[in-house]
Amino acid sequence: MMRPVKTYYPILPVIISYGVLFGIGIMVPGKWQLVSQLAFYCALGQAFNLFMGMTGYVDFGYVAFMGVGTYGMAVSIYYLYDKGLGLGLIVIGLILAAVFSTLLSLAVGAVALRLRGAYFAIATIGVNEGFRFLIEGARIWNGADGMIFYRHLKTAFGKQTAMALSTMWADVMVFGVAVLAAVLTLIYMRNKVGYALTALREDEDAAKVMGINVTKYKLTAFITSAILAGLLGASAWALKLTYVYPEDVFEIHYTVEAIIIVLLGGAGTLLGPLVGGLIYGVSKYYLSIVLPGFQLLIFAPIIIAIIVLFPEGTVGIFKKRIFGTPLEKYII
Amino acid sequence: MILEQLSGNLVHGLVLGAVYGMATMGLSLIFGVLQVVNVGHGAFIMVGAYTSLMMFKAMGLPPVVAIPVAMFIGMALGMLFYYGAVKPLVSPSGSGIRKPGMKGFGIAAGSFVALMVIMRPVSLVFHLHFAISLFVGIIFLYGFLLYIYGGRRQEKAPELTTLLVTFSLGVILEEVVKQIFTSEARGFNWDIGKLDLGITVLPYTKIVASLGSLGIAVLLYLWFRKTRAGMAMRSVVEDDVGARVCGVNVDWQFALSFSLGIGLTVTSGVLLTMFIPVGINPYMGGPYTLKAFVIAVLGGLASPYGAFFGGVVFGLVENGSYTLFANIPGLEPFAMTRFFSFVMLLVILLVRPTGLLRAK
Repeated sequence: MMRPVKTYYPILPVIISYGVLFGIGIMVPGKWQLVSQLAFYCALGQAFNLFMGMTGYVDFGYVAFMGVGTYGMAVSIYYLYDKGLGLGLIVIGLILAAVFSTLLSLAVGAVALRLRGAYFAIATIGVNEGFRFLIEGARIWNGADGMIFYRHLKTAFGKQTAMALSTMWADVMVFGVAVLAAVLTLIYMRNKVGYALTALREDEDAAKVMGINVTKYKLTAFITSAILAGLLGASAWALKLTYVYPEDVFEIHYTVEAIIIVLLGGAGTLLGPLVGGLIYGVSKYYLSIVLPGFQLLIFAPIIIAIIVLFPEGTVGIFKKRIFGTPLEKYII
Repeated sequence: MILEQLSGNLVHGLVLGAVYGMATMGLSLIFGVLQVVNVGHGAFIMVGAYTSLMMFKAMGLPPVVAIPVAMFIGMALGMLFYYGAVKPLVSPSGSGIRKPGMKGFGIAAGSFVALMVIMRPVSLVFHLHFAISLFVGIIFLYGFLLYIYGGRRQEKAPELTTLLVTFSLGVILEEVVKQIFTSEARGFNWDIGKLDLGITVLPYTKIVASLGSLGIAVLLYLWFRKTRAGMAMRSVVEDDVGARVCGVNVDWQFALSFSLGIGLTVTSGVLLTMFIPVGINPYMGGPYTLKAFVIAVLGGLASPYGAFFGGVVFGLVENGSYTLFANIPGLEPFAMTRFFSFVMLLVILLVRPTGLLRAK
């Protein structure tokens, strides 16, 4: 079903912001690191928001999808580097990342999405740890020793290209994932999926009674969000750092960061994760210069303050403010 | 050979299971009364472990003495966290907080930025650590906002918010402990001899820990069954609106059971250090959170006794499966046991979400 183009206007501020951010990274020398970090946070927020913001379910094991995505890219480069695939190697890596995260999200979703609220959180909180211990315990893909594949990358592409891939193109891919996540969020919001998810977020029983197949729509959002996380892991972690250790890549702190970003910006809004990612990224950058290692101590009480006092987040409050003005149709 | 190994491990599992059960009772109590899942559960266990460690190292007191101290610390923490963060979200008589809106948000954001800028010179003058003073500043700002916007909000906050709040409380605890004690793993050695059972050797500390958990569980049971206060709490578990109608102070019951639950959890941290007195670090709680969830779900999530029973079952299964994995070549038994407990959680949630004891 085609909708009037006008309903897709809210994507404009998102695209423009990412464009400006990208431009700053290219133009201002020495800022590329910060910009790519900010893009990573925004992308993480956008991908996480697609499920948490739209359904109201908190997936504490979200980082597991990023982790398996990382392994997707790593496996492709580590085992196929001498097959002469050229850039196909990266494509295969991305496909593997998407496939792995889809499979894992299907497995987790099949159990967890039948559950609600507290039970859902309990079911998902162990996913990242569980998967990490499976990889370590069964010694899959080198187990706890991890995979270091810069050498493989260099053999496959040559030194120049390998450098460019890990320093520049990995970050460009993160921008791509961020924009993709934003576009998908808007498409979902403007179609049946979004309406169904809004209904179930407000009252799941009522939505069910009205004949909405809630499980189907929850699973759609869950898998989409997982695939985006997988792609993000493949680009922002595997390709950029060129190593994978299970204990790093399944670290729950990424889930915490995703939650903070989404809440700061406003859960369930399109612009929220972008704003949240920028606020979080910039303040974390500032804090890490002034004093490293204290970010969580400062951000944890902020989460509580936001939840208790400002549950709508920055964009949510801003949205109320501009209600009825011409700006309204650009910001959701 | 394997049978001998298995029976020895099962004895350990049984003894450890009692402590696991005790470590989960707090979680079940809080869920039963407040319908809140304490996602920061492991962090409170960590606090107990540090209490035990500090009392042993600094004062030379055995962990048994640390039990009442830990209970007190835990209940105090519980009260603090309940009134500071959890009450606005769950209280049945309205949260007492009006949503601040744009102006309030502006004030909050502005003061936060100002804090970030001002605190730097302040910390230099008073020789305080920048982040600590900033942290204190945020807490004051938060309290100030809570005070200013004292109104009444009748609607109950959605469930996910309580998950995020308890999660953040756990993170705060971990980070504060990390600032005080650094993140290095510590340990101590309390040796009071060993008991030789023939199939295995059991240190007396483990037996004391196990009996201690059993004792606390029995006390809790008696308190629930035989006293008026316990009856009031049970009535809230049953039906909080009904209890209110009958004149039970539900608000106070919420506060009391939250603080009691946290107290029990912190105490269990002490008992756990009698078992595993090494590897005490700020992030040690993570695995226990996961285990506690498995156990709580085994026992039916809302019942403290079910949790105790679930703990014993879990201890047996965990130690039994360890023997099994250790005998399969090419596997890391320790990591596989952790994976197994995760799979167990999913299977129970799928097959019997009401717990093993309860019928549907």
